[in-house]
Amino acid sequence: MAKPNKDSLKTLSFITYFIILFVFWFILSGYLKTLLLFFGVISVLFVFWMSYRAKALEEDSLPLKIILRLPFYWIWLFKEIFKSGITTTALIWNGKYSPQLITVKASQKNRTGIANYANAITLTPGTVTIEVDKKTFLVHALSKKLSEDLQTDDMNKVITDLDR
Amino acid sequence: MSYNYIELITLILLAIGCFFILSGSLGLIKLPDVFSRIHAAGLIDTLGSGFIVLALIIYSGFSLLSLKLLLIPIFLIFTSPVTGHSIALFAHESGYKPKGKNKN
Repeated sequence: MAKPNKDSLKTLSFITYFIILFVFWFILSGYLKTLLLFFGVISVLFVFWMSYRAKALEEDSLPLKIILRLPFYWIWLFKEIFKSGITTTALIWNGKYSPQLITVKASQKNRTGIANYANAITLTPGTVTIEVDKKTFLVHALSKKLSEDLQTDDMNKVITDLDR
Repeated sequence: MSYNYIELITLILLAIGCFFILSGSLGLIKLPDVFSRIHAAGLIDTLGSGFIVLALIIYSGFSLLSLKLLLIPIFLIFTSPVTGHSIALFAHESGYKPKGKNKN
């Protein structure tokens, strides 16, 4: 397998972004006439130009490698959200909460990975990322069990593996 | 008496979603300080709206409409942690201390 150079990788990510935008336009509109599809291509190109101008198409913000792993990661994330959601609901109803602050280490390499990890912590009910220092997060957890679940480092490993 | 299976599943999922929204609202009143209340709000955002949208997708059948409905939780996944994080950060920066051990 030939090693992909930087330019071809960039072109590939541009094409992927274009396809994603066009699918998004199609889902929202649902038109199939040729003229309207043409207008759709024009509006997608306009958005593409705008985001190119805003420098939103850097390598870091459009990670091509993780796009195929993303659905599996989301399924795993839904499972985690469901589990800790049940715990949080039980805590709310029986009143045995004991809020506490903990610090968590992150081992992701780039900025996207760190933001991803912080968002995943906030997204699971019962834990909120308060402050992001370079590699450590300040996390507020609703109970001891939830903070211990976080400190087992499972979520950190999964998200680090995401952009290996 | 014959049940329509799709309506039955929709009913159950809607009930689960409503239960999570009820628990989240209860937690919003009951929990002690601002940081803990964000957890309750997050419960509504993720599980409450998630189950209700899932029920609506199953009810509407798999068409373009259900794809549009699927966009709602995808946007919530990206926006809800940002709001929770910004509220928590602002409370932390302006000097609120999270309450430690409660009565229980």
